[in-house]
Amino acid sequence: MNLSVPNIVILIVIGLLGVGAYALLTVRNLIKVVVALQIMVKAAMLALVLAGRLQGQENLGQSLALTVIVADTIVAVVGLALAVEVRRVVGSLDLKALTTLRR
Amino acid sequence: MEAGFAFLLVVGIPLLGAPLIYLIGRLVERRQPGLNPARWVALLALLAAFYPLGIALQTVLNQGMPVSFSLGVIRLQMDGVGALLAALALVLGALVTLFSGPYLSREDHQEKYYALLVAMIGGMIGLGCTTDLFNLWVWFELMAIASYPLVAFHRHAPAALEAGVKYLVQSAVGSAFVLIGIALVFGQTGTLTLASIRANAPLTPVMLAAGALFLIGFGVKAALVPLHTWLPDAHSQAPSGISAMLSGVVIEAGLIALLRALGAVFAVSDLWGVFLLGFAALNMLLGNLMALRQTQVKRMLAFSSLSHMGYIVLGIGCAFAFGAPNAAAGGFFHILTHGLMKGLAFLAAGALLYALYIANGQHQPLMVDDLDGAATRYPLAAFTLSVALLGLGGIPPLAGFMSKWQIFVGGFETRQTWAMALVIFAALNSVLSLGYYAPLINRMYRHQPSKRMESGQPVSGWMNVVLLILTLGVVGLGFYPTLASWLTQPAAQSLLAALGG
Amino acid sequence: MGMTWLSLTIGLPWLGALVVWLVGDRDEKITHTLAVAFSLAAGVAAVLLLPFGKERLVYSIPIGGVFGDFTFVVDGLGVFLAAIATVVGSLAVIFSVDYMHGEQQLTRYYAFVLFFIGGMAGLVLTSNLLLMFFFWEITALCSYALISFHNDDPKAVAGGIKALIITQLGGIGLLAGALLLYTYTGSNDFQAFLENPALLPAGALAWMGFGCLIAAAAKSAQFPFQTWLPDAMEAPTPISALIHAATMVNAGVYLLARFYPAFAEVPGWREAVMICGMLSALLAAIMAMVATDLKRVLAYSTISQLGFMVYAVGAGGVFASQFHLLSHSVFKALLFLAAGAVIHSVGTRDMRQMGGLGKDMPLTRAVFVVGGLALAGIPIFNGFWSKELILEAGLHDNPLWLYGLMLLVAGLTAFYTLRMMSMVFYGEARAGRHVHDAGNAMKAALLPLAVGSLTTWLLAGPFGHLLAESLPAHHLKAHGTLAIVEEVITAPATYLALGVVAVGLLAGWQRQRLSALGQALSGVSKAAAESFGFEAINRGVVNAAQKLAEWLRVTQPGLLNWNVFAILCALLILLASLAVGGR
Repeated sequence: MNLSVPNIVILIVIGLLGVGAYALLTVRNLIKVVVALQIMVKAAMLALVLAGRLQGQENLGQSLALTVIVADTIVAVVGLALAVEVRRVVGSLDLKALTTLRR
Repeated sequence: MEAGFAFLLVVGIPLLGAPLIYLIGRLVERRQPGLNPARWVALLALLAAFYPLGIALQTVLNQGMPVSFSLGVIRLQMDGVGALLAALALVLGALVTLFSGPYLSREDHQEKYYALLVAMIGGMIGLGCTTDLFNLWVWFELMAIASYPLVAFHRHAPAALEAGVKYLVQSAVGSAFVLIGIALVFGQTGTLTLASIRANAPLTPVMLAAGALFLIGFGVKAALVPLHTWLPDAHSQAPSGISAMLSGVVIEAGLIALLRALGAVFAVSDLWGVFLLGFAALNMLLGNLMALRQTQVKRMLAFSSLSHMGYIVLGIGCAFAFGAPNAAAGGFFHILTHGLMKGLAFLAAGALLYALYIANGQHQPLMVDDLDGAATRYPLAAFTLSVALLGLGGIPPLAGFMSKWQIFVGGFETRQTWAMALVIFAALNSVLSLGYYAPLINRMYRHQPSKRMESGQPVSGWMNVVLLILTLGVVGLGFYPTLASWLTQPAAQSLLAALGG
Repeated sequence: MGMTWLSLTIGLPWLGALVVWLVGDRDEKITHTLAVAFSLAAGVAAVLLLPFGKERLVYSIPIGGVFGDFTFVVDGLGVFLAAIATVVGSLAVIFSVDYMHGEQQLTRYYAFVLFFIGGMAGLVLTSNLLLMFFFWEITALCSYALISFHNDDPKAVAGGIKALIITQLGGIGLLAGALLLYTYTGSNDFQAFLENPALLPAGALAWMGFGCLIAAAAKSAQFPFQTWLPDAMEAPTPISALIHAATMVNAGVYLLARFYPAFAEVPGWREAVMICGMLSALLAAIMAMVATDLKRVLAYSTISQLGFMVYAVGAGGVFASQFHLLSHSVFKALLFLAAGAVIHSVGTRDMRQMGGLGKDMPLTRAVFVVGGLALAGIPIFNGFWSKELILEAGLHDNPLWLYGLMLLVAGLTAFYTLRMMSMVFYGEARAGRHVHDAGNAMKAALLPLAVGSLTTWLLAGPFGHLLAESLPAHHLKAHGTLAIVEEVITAPATYLALGVVAVGLLAGWQRQRLSALGQALSGVSKAAAESFGFEAINRGVVNAAQKLAEWLRVTQPGLLNWNVFAILCALLILLASLAVGGR
């Protein structure tokens, strides 16, 4: 595997995905969880831009990424808003405090 | 009215209506607190969408022609599947709006609830009618984003927040997977239009991975086991109207998104149908067994939604694996009947929850024990909940019996031994499900009421009207199952056409 | 005209159910009156429908698609069972006026009774297998709702759910049969299939045949599904008489008789049916010999008599089985209702608490004895003729050991019948007891049934002709009543059977002196009291399901990290299986 630009980007995408997934499995702080989600979506955005470039449709790829940024920001905002409420009502951001619904 | 324009209105009214509902509600709330016009504006918006929907349906279903319009590069097209989803979302949405008025009468910020509800419905209608893979994701996100705050609407209740967090995070993980899948498909084919992806899909491992990502990504929303863990929490903690929408249409919308995306890469592998049937078996078994030991009514209903998603996926999976037309029609019929039955079940349970807890200013889950003797004080709520539960258990003369029959016929018609075995397995699961539905019904007809029952408040008239309408639908389809064929048959044809059948 | 009576037979009870339910629990009298009026009207309509049985009226409601057309066929088998359902149904409703006097939630009771009567009539009159399954499940629903009518009693709730789940479990057999029929013929209508079973390939036909046998066994409380019927005795007694003796439990026998021409040639099917009937008849008769609960004795005897009918179908005696079904419906409904009068009066179902009731309840004793003698198979009562016909059918080209065992069961029947009658009505009366004889409405229901137990055998000839003419696929031969009587009284087998019955009666009479024999057989009676282990199996299955369900709840750990872990695992598994089996 040569180190052409697309291959480097692919590696970065995989790396980001791995970081995001690993974080989702291990972190206990709700804010960090939202950050982990963001990392995974960033990987996807990078993949979209790369796909556009590989197909010679850079404009389309980048406009897709822009749309994703918009949608993803809203998700992040809602997630953080929930985190604020959780901190206010539950008193903690630890996921362990959010395990009352089980079984 | 021209059909294309009517279709534009069907999509446009909820989307434009949502901010309007919020603004009107907010402004009036400032000047005259307690008037709550948002509810009526929302109802008006949803009802206003019915007329153009009727015109569009006429073209789509009677003449068998998809209706479409384009806004710039975005092209929406309503086929049988989209028509079914739009009709179900609007009908259930209007009923839930009517129901929620009294249910939420003690809550603040109702305008947010109605605006988000209508936006969610708009997202679902768009999701059903998209022709482009990326737009599919956008509509899917619109629906999802609108539903996150709705689940956590009781934002002072820790459990509701917990449910909202889990729902959001798991959905977002799924959504990220879908995006990666889209990038893979785009990188391989250079197009995002579903039809041209289907035509040009190269048989490469990358496309296989994309299909798996779609299956898992959308599968989270469709609550396929083992991606389902958010569902029991979200469906039990959301306000009852939202529980009805989530169980009745939203997870089904997730499944339809899955079908659209998977349909585009259908030719790449023979395994898609097998996977779907595997998920069907898992959903039916785990949903029923988990429901068996639940002590909260809404959580039990939520687990039962898992098993019913299994029946739907059984029908659709047979269509994927064997191109069985009756199985597909049965799957869509079950989407419809399950929407009515589970909507009814959640709303009837909601009416009781309202009468026993909310109207007394309490936010606690409705326990199974609380239902003792419900029939003496709340005869209509108890009766309609019984009808819903029996229907879900597949007892005639109710709708669930007929839709399950159609799925089962579809499975048998494949004449494949293991598809037939799966059908028998599904029937066994129906019997198993009676193990938790039946005791619940028995409780409600006891003479000795629970302690809760004695301090219960009356159920509002609007709630009863909604429960009656849904009950009529459940009984009517049980006696005359082909009453819904005009919706389910075209949906099945559209699905099979999309699979190149 | 036939159309009208047909639609009224099914429609009137259902309309009545709706009306009773809508009127609500306002005035007890109105509820009773409405229920009696609608059930009687349905009974009249069904009797008026009887003459049309020979014409094979066909009435179809177009539905289409995989649901087929909802077709109703009025033939001999159908009209006769519909008449039993509605006539016995109206008698049970009349009986209920006294029996259910002062109960709460009467509308729920009557609505379900009427819903049941209509459903049962529909079940036997349709020729669409989906619709038959539809009515089949409706009768199960009503049976469940009525067994658990007293929802505050945990035993009643448990009995209802047990009945529902077991019959539904068996119902899957019928479902599979219906699905196979549709798959291979493209239609739900079984008329053409009965004429030509070769429409189905041999394998599918065998599956369908055994599926129907499973469904029939579950519905008719036959081996190995018999356990639900004794527990169903928690129902109000008129319900036990109507649903769990005279009508719904016959649906299984009806199913086997209806499809006999299609499955008779399936290898092993007839033998399986006969063995299923024999085992049920034998085991239930032994259990009836040791049971002390009056209604449970009757329940065991119902299982046992249904076993006779199932055996008869397997032996090729379709007419004999249906004829016994008629006799049994009448005398068992009579026995149950009379037992209901006793229980209503004494306040217990335990026969050891009874004894000597005959003096205080002369009318009840008289009709109970009539029913009992019919059950025991004493000549000129209706049960005698039909049972003899069954035993004769067993002698035609069928295994002799099965016949021998059935003969033994006939003797056991006489034994437990006599034991039951003497424990309840004869012997020492208990002191300080205030009992009263049956009320007027009860009498109005008991007397017609008692007359019926003495006379319905006179209908053998016309009934046989009705069946023979309207069931071409069954190839039945019809004889006049006189010819049948002559056949029975000239056959040597009849005297053999009568001898066995006499021995049974004698043993029942002198059962105190047989204690030595009883000691020797104590193992059997202990096993019988434990229902031969079937209850333990039931409990085991239920416990295992509950344990598994409880154990599975660890899959919902509630921690978000684990939830995401499950998603990632599912993705990896999918990717791995695609990598292996991709295309």
